[in-house]
Amino acid sequence: MPLERTQESGVRSQNRGPAVHLDKLVKRFGDFVAVDNVSIDVAQGEIFGFLGPNGAGKSTTIRILCGLLAPTSGSATVGGFDVSTQPEDIKKNIGYMSQKFSLYDDLTVQENIEFFGGIYGVSDEKLPERRDYVLKMAGLEGKRSALTRELSGGWKQRLALGCAILHEPPILFLDEPTSGVDPIARRNFWHLIYELSGAGHTVFVTTHYMDEAEYCHRVALMYGGRVIALGSPAELKTSLGAGHLLNLESSNLLGAMAALENKPGILDVAVFGGGLHVKVDDPGAAIPAIYKILQDAGIHVMTLDSITPSMEDVFVGLIEKEEEKKAA
Amino acid sequence: MNLRRTRAIFRKEMLHIIRDPRSLVAALLQPLIMLMLFGWALSLDVDHIPAYVYDQSNSPQSRDLINAFQGSRYFSVTEVTSYHAIEQAIDKRQCLMGVAIPPDFAKQLGQKQPTQVQLLLDGSDSNTASIARGYAESIVALYSGQLQAPVQTAMGNSPARVSAEMRVWYNPDLLSQNFIVPGLIAVIVMIIASNLGALTIAREWENGTMEQLLSTPARPSEVAFGKLFAYFVVGFVDMVIALVVGVFVFHVPLKGSVLLLLVSSCLFLFGSLALGILVSASFRTQLLAYQMGSFISFLPAFLLSGFIYSISNMPRVIQFIALFVPARYYMNIARGIFLKGLGVRALWFELLLMVFYCVSVCYFTTRKLRQKVA
Amino acid sequence: MIRKEFIQALRDPRMRSMLFIPPLLQLLIFGYAVNLDVDNAKIAWMDQDRTPESRELLSQFQGSGRFNIAGFPDSERAMQKMMDGSQVDAVVRVLPGFGRDVVRGRATAVQVLVDGTNSNTASIVSGYASQCIARFSNQAMQKQQKTKMYAATAESGPVHMSMPSVDSRTRVWFNPDLRSRNYFIPGVIVNIITLVTLSLTAMAIVREKEIGTMEQLMVTPIRPPELILGKTLPFVVVGLWDMLLVLAAALLLFHIPFNGSFWLLLGSAMLFLLTTLGAGLFISTVSQTQQQAMMATMIFFQPFFMLSGFTFPIRNMPQVAQWLTFFNPVRYFMEIVRGVFLQGSGVEALWPQMVALAFFGVTILWLSVQRFHKQLE
Repeated sequence: MPLERTQESGVRSQNRGPAVHLDKLVKRFGDFVAVDNVSIDVAQGEIFGFLGPNGAGKSTTIRILCGLLAPTSGSATVGGFDVSTQPEDIKKNIGYMSQKFSLYDDLTVQENIEFFGGIYGVSDEKLPERRDYVLKMAGLEGKRSALTRELSGGWKQRLALGCAILHEPPILFLDEPTSGVDPIARRNFWHLIYELSGAGHTVFVTTHYMDEAEYCHRVALMYGGRVIALGSPAELKTSLGAGHLLNLESSNLLGAMAALENKPGILDVAVFGGGLHVKVDDPGAAIPAIYKILQDAGIHVMTLDSITPSMEDVFVGLIEKEEEKKAA
Repeated sequence: MNLRRTRAIFRKEMLHIIRDPRSLVAALLQPLIMLMLFGWALSLDVDHIPAYVYDQSNSPQSRDLINAFQGSRYFSVTEVTSYHAIEQAIDKRQCLMGVAIPPDFAKQLGQKQPTQVQLLLDGSDSNTASIARGYAESIVALYSGQLQAPVQTAMGNSPARVSAEMRVWYNPDLLSQNFIVPGLIAVIVMIIASNLGALTIAREWENGTMEQLLSTPARPSEVAFGKLFAYFVVGFVDMVIALVVGVFVFHVPLKGSVLLLLVSSCLFLFGSLALGILVSASFRTQLLAYQMGSFISFLPAFLLSGFIYSISNMPRVIQFIALFVPARYYMNIARGIFLKGLGVRALWFELLLMVFYCVSVCYFTTRKLRQKVA
Repeated sequence: MIRKEFIQALRDPRMRSMLFIPPLLQLLIFGYAVNLDVDNAKIAWMDQDRTPESRELLSQFQGSGRFNIAGFPDSERAMQKMMDGSQVDAVVRVLPGFGRDVVRGRATAVQVLVDGTNSNTASIVSGYASQCIARFSNQAMQKQQKTKMYAATAESGPVHMSMPSVDSRTRVWFNPDLRSRNYFIPGVIVNIITLVTLSLTAMAIVREKEIGTMEQLMVTPIRPPELILGKTLPFVVVGLWDMLLVLAAALLLFHIPFNGSFWLLLGSAMLFLLTTLGAGLFISTVSQTQQQAMMATMIFFQPFFMLSGFTFPIRNMPQVAQWLTFFNPVRYFMEIVRGVFLQGSGVEALWPQMVALAFFGVTILWLSVQRFHKQLE
């Protein structure tokens, strides 16, 4: 579904600095620290992924950036405007899609679009053009007078995204936009995000789907309110700490796991899909050693290859490291 | 306040109202049911009180007295033949009052002696009973006076008779409908405020759309006023129905200015809807908002506003609380315009309070919404 | 199952407070606010005569204990303003020449201008005012009689003087002080039981529907009658508990006389609960959400309550409305409660109402159970 470039020429930003800038941002709810000293810069046009388990502080951060919550300390700017002092200016320059589907169920597709058009101040002359663009982008041309509650999850997400970009905001905040949507709809959705980024929108997106992180230009990993890793997916994978990953397939996975655990040169063993992921210091020395150990244990090895870690490996690895730190 | 954004919210809210016919019907049905009940069925006016008479004298004199009771529209008389029958009828609630005329009634009167009739009253319903008692005692007193007059004149006396010349102002037929229907408008407005207004923001919180709305440039005042205007349309329709039915179906006299009535009703409606929205913004679940809405808008309007029960009879503490019930002041306005034909000059204080009510509630509503943003 | 309901009802703090706070709050508000007595009518005294006789009339009004003189307007305009502003319930106007007429023994009149806006207050106030004036009239007459008699005795020795008169001796049964509180508070008990059991039943079932545990329950081997029994029985207990609570408060706080049998009241309440639980069950079948259940409860409840004779006597209603009230179970329970409280009536007087309650209770419950059943399937 290619989009016409010309329609995207409207995306503009007077701001020459980073699209989103967080400086030592802190948010406390009573004793609970939801966001702990977070500093990030997001460049214009970037797709920035915000990863982390539930309760890591992703949504809180996004809410602060959208002007829905006031930070406890630290500062942040969005499109050059300060979140504490200029929330009204920020709201004109962003599009926000919240975690929960939040359009009006009892309004039709077109009515929802027109409502948000009115709220975002899209002029009457411009609204039909924007409406048609959004309908086309979301693929809802044939359903404009359908009640929103009758749409399936994927359509709803696209409509919600459409409503968030009606006013051509330079910056988009998407809070877990694809939760509860089937894989095909998710892929289509990311396709849209790419196009928006290509057209100059900055996209700030949270997710807990690790495969989605691969689509981002850069990701930040959040855990316990803090950013524990920041970089492009490729950078994060290589910086996984000392260690390489081997994929091992065997007919007796549990036996293999028991045999390999706590052996010299082997950092970690974990079940992954139909095989084991084995983390080692030096693959050159480890591969023959593993073969030997398993042979001694009478376990047949089907394959043993060196692989690049997935984001999930990175994620799990980093969090385990954090937890060890906490325990120590 | 940006008019375009307010208009967008207004339109959206109208669509919600249209798309949810069940709530709309509920909001319109309840007032109509009340209007029917109060206009047609319910009345405190006492007449045709069933009275049983046990005439032991059975003389022309006692017949005269019974005729006096029969001639009054307040009593419908049944004659019985034993005292016990009266007692039984009162026990079974077949009659409210018994009149027992003693056997020597005619004889005593013939000898120009004082005599007595006994009135037996079921006091359970104290209101009806005290009205019945008043009527009955004055019938007896009147009869007594009639007996004395010829005797006095015969004796060459001119007795100083002082009579009461009763004039009833504003509601000469003493119809309780005329009293209740104007007040009912206040109750209806409050029902709409608690049934529709109190839910509107709580629903957006429950559905997560409030967060979406807050991330847009829409300001709290625009959200509040967009919603207010939408419910105002519904409330206005409801109010006009109540007025038209009151005037044309139940023939409540409308002596004052229709324009003044409409203006003050709109003020009250606007303020009350804003109050509903304030409640809604304070409680994030619809259920709680509905309960609190009923508790702070509908209940006081019904009980503490003088709608049926006069405030001056209540204990001091409750009278003090009633000072803060806006419906009470609106009721003064509505009744004043309807029955007394009052104008701005007599009602300026209440009107001023209505304006104050509107402005202050709107202010608190926008402030409450703003707090939730931060 | 029943135990689960009890535990649930008691664990939820909102429910727990529902058991205590609304009944007592209602009793307090209704108990103090609902009152049709006119204890102290505010009147304005407009004396255009200013003679000893007019002052005597004033003291007659003041001494009656029923009037509160709120002002002495001296002009037509001032009086009009007091009436328009609802500052007074009535104006008594003594016209010039009143004193002279009384002294000379001429018939005269006192004007009483009553604000008829509140027709009920107006009838009571005008009754009080006529009584005061009649009393004044009698006293004036007797005084003249006495002076005449003195004159007569002085001239020609004692004269036998007598006058025919009829006096009424009024005896008020059941509520001798004619306090409307005695009449209303028993009614409030009916109100509270109805509202609490009706809304709790409807809400409890709809809540299960809303959060989806109803489906969970239906896949268990529990049978519909057991389900219904388990759902409703706790509210029978709650309803009776509320009744006892309010009853105690009525007796201790408001000193309402209780002349009848407690067990009769309790038995009738149980019969009545059949109706409210059935109606609650019915509301739960027509509502999808708790909020709808709440609104439906109010819409149901109001006409039934209004047409029960609580404030507005059934006798005053148009004939058609009176017939309608025969189909109103609340009416029967209202009659029983008031009968038991004020008249001390027993079964021999109240059995028709009890039969009616039982009939409506069983019918409504049966129909609702049928409907509920169908919905489960």
